[in-house]
Amino acid sequence: MTTHLTSARPAAGSRKESRRRPPAPSTTTVGRPSFAWAVPAALFFALFAIVPLIMVAVLSFMSWDGISSPEFVGTDNWSRLADDPVMLKSIWLTLLLTVLGVVLQTPLSILLGVWAAGHQRNRAVLSVIYFIPLLLSATAVSVLWRALLDPNFGIPAEATWLFGDGNLFGEQTTAIGVLAFVSTWQFTPFHTLIYQGAARAVPQVLYQAAEIDGAGRYRQFFHITLPQLRTSMITSMILMIVGGLTTFETVLILTQGGPGTDTTISAYYMYDKAFKSFDYGIGSAIALALVVAATIISLIVVRVSGYDKMRSSMEGVS
Amino acid sequence: MKTRARLPRLVATGATLALALSLSACGDGDGGASSDDGKIHVLVYGDASNKIEQQIVDTFNKTSDVKAVLDTIPGADYQTKLQTIINTPQAPDIFYNWGGGSIKPFVKADLLLPLDDFIKKDPGLKDNFLPSVFNSAVVDGKPYGIPMRGTQPVLLFHNKKVLEDAGVQPPKTWDELLAAVGKLKDAGVTPIALGGGDVWPTQMWFQYLYDRIAGPELFAKAIGGDKSAWESADSKKALDMISELVDSGAFGKNYDSVKYTNGGSVQLVASGKAGFELMGSWYYSQQLTDHKEFAEKDLGYTAFPTVEGGKGDPGNVAGNPNNYYSVMKKTKHPEAAAEFLKLMYSDEFVKAHLDIGNLPTTTNTDKFIDDSATPEYTRFQYDLVSDAPNFQLSWDQAYPQKASSDMHKAIQQFFNGQLDTDGFIKAMQALPTE
Repeated sequence: MTTHLTSARPAAGSRKESRRRPPAPSTTTVGRPSFAWAVPAALFFALFAIVPLIMVAVLSFMSWDGISSPEFVGTDNWSRLADDPVMLKSIWLTLLLTVLGVVLQTPLSILLGVWAAGHQRNRAVLSVIYFIPLLLSATAVSVLWRALLDPNFGIPAEATWLFGDGNLFGEQTTAIGVLAFVSTWQFTPFHTLIYQGAARAVPQVLYQAAEIDGAGRYRQFFHITLPQLRTSMITSMILMIVGGLTTFETVLILTQGGPGTDTTISAYYMYDKAFKSFDYGIGSAIALALVVAATIISLIVVRVSGYDKMRSSMEGVS
Repeated sequence: MKTRARLPRLVATGATLALALSLSACGDGDGGASSDDGKIHVLVYGDASNKIEQQIVDTFNKTSDVKAVLDTIPGADYQTKLQTIINTPQAPDIFYNWGGGSIKPFVKADLLLPLDDFIKKDPGLKDNFLPSVFNSAVVDGKPYGIPMRGTQPVLLFHNKKVLEDAGVQPPKTWDELLAAVGKLKDAGVTPIALGGGDVWPTQMWFQYLYDRIAGPELFAKAIGGDKSAWESADSKKALDMISELVDSGAFGKNYDSVKYTNGGSVQLVASGKAGFELMGSWYYSQQLTDHKEFAEKDLGYTAFPTVEGGKGDPGNVAGNPNNYYSVMKKTKHPEAAAEFLKLMYSDEFVKAHLDIGNLPTTTNTDKFIDDSATPEYTRFQYDLVSDAPNFQLSWDQAYPQKASSDMHKAIQQFFNGQLDTDGFIKAMQALPTE
């Protein structure tokens, strides 16, 4: 197997050459992967994703408090959810946080990623520093920011000109702002990494040609780098959207959905119903709704962006 | 019928597991315990008191043929885990709880053993505990729990130095408290520290004021299912007084961003930025851990102020009367369980708890207090609790667990002005009482 795999790769001598070219799939000697190869993964996926999903779907039509026997209640949970103002609010909040995440993180990570793909002097050191937030767990990050943003002993106490009385977690706008900020702080490094890789893969000939034509750094960025990052941008955005829809720990630790229900996003609402109010039926209904919504949104993004057609960004290069 | 019920249960269990898996990536220890291995399993909330529970288990095992095994679950996960395993073969024989609403659903599902028979054989299981505390685990007229840790009344703590500098005496009445708030504000400190971010500290103000103004009957009525209690004149009066206090700036402006659990409000009082804090009796040891010098020198404490014209006895206290051990109905060794519970009023148990700052609620506690680590504070609490005509269990523990999240929301929203009096009343009326 090893020999097969190596033979699919370019020989060591031609490495430099091949880096600029996409590998040609048709020349490999490795056959099409047999379906059998996928069985272990498929089994795992079925066991830990499909089966529970089906169970959650069934449970969403039952009333169950975790102690007594579950009872079938038909579409009761669903109609209760449809009439629940908190549920509606949570959907809006989820979408808002997701959009905020994409809007804040995309430009930041593109700039950082493109910069990190260069050959500047302190690039490596700074890149490592930028990367640190991603190494911390969301829980640690949230605990950290909760302490840093304490109104009496944190940053707001020192910078009153910016934070006023520091009631960041007590008002909806600022609480959402904090949530968006903390997610951005944590996940920008990850998307930076995607863009860094993508920016490195942009063929140098493009820049050389542009330089000859007299294009400056900004024109090069907007006319070469950015269009070349297109597919990476879609990948990164889908990850951001799915991540945004399933944000949970940050809310759990930073705001607990409060003040009141002002930051109760859908995933947190599911937790609140299932594990704090022991209403597993409603919790399952919310969970299922989230799965459906995330799937639809991802599909729309893939379709609208043309990602499914897998158009190569190498078009017109060679 | 039986097979019909089994499938949904299976599905439900699997789905819970799936939900739990998708939410928490962290694993958990083996808290499981099957009841037929010739042992009794004792399940407790994992924290600093576990060393005493282990000590008691060891003592028990020295003489008993049926051995006890202590299983602990980290505090934050305790309630969820308990609820998940309580009706499975993994259920323990004896488990820790908060009495009141925390066990009501289990009683309703017929899972718990009423302790009448135990008490008939050994009246000491009832008589050796303070009645107000013992009664908190009585559901539908039957006892379901034996007190197993220390009592936790809520007290009004203060920073002696801050009060002195502002020319304020610890308040005995509500009016004195309002006056103190004014003076502390003039002195440039936050009058009352509040960890509103956790919400349960906010709730303490509600449960005390309601008790002082209306007496324990109003809440008893409400939790008994009579929702009109929330619309009563007394209820509205209590809410008005809370609004008045909040609007006067007693808690400052950013209390909802402050937490007790990360030490924020604790530090406010210790550093002299705030005068008072209403908190459970564990506050003393918390301050002792976080700010030793302050706790030893400047930390003062009083009972909650009286309210003029209120129907409630000023001697009433609120908080957590105690934690309790309840016994599962399907335990294979009820005699061993009864023997084990007897240790909860032993001298060894009382001394061990006093050593770590807990105050057991047994009648023999009295004679050991003077040798405890903080005799003065321990004595104050003991007298307060043993003289109290009524000990109001924390609202969120008295209500069934499924109501607590919505209750917290309503309390937080009323406090910060998102809900008005009518809105709050409606929210409380919507809470499930069983």
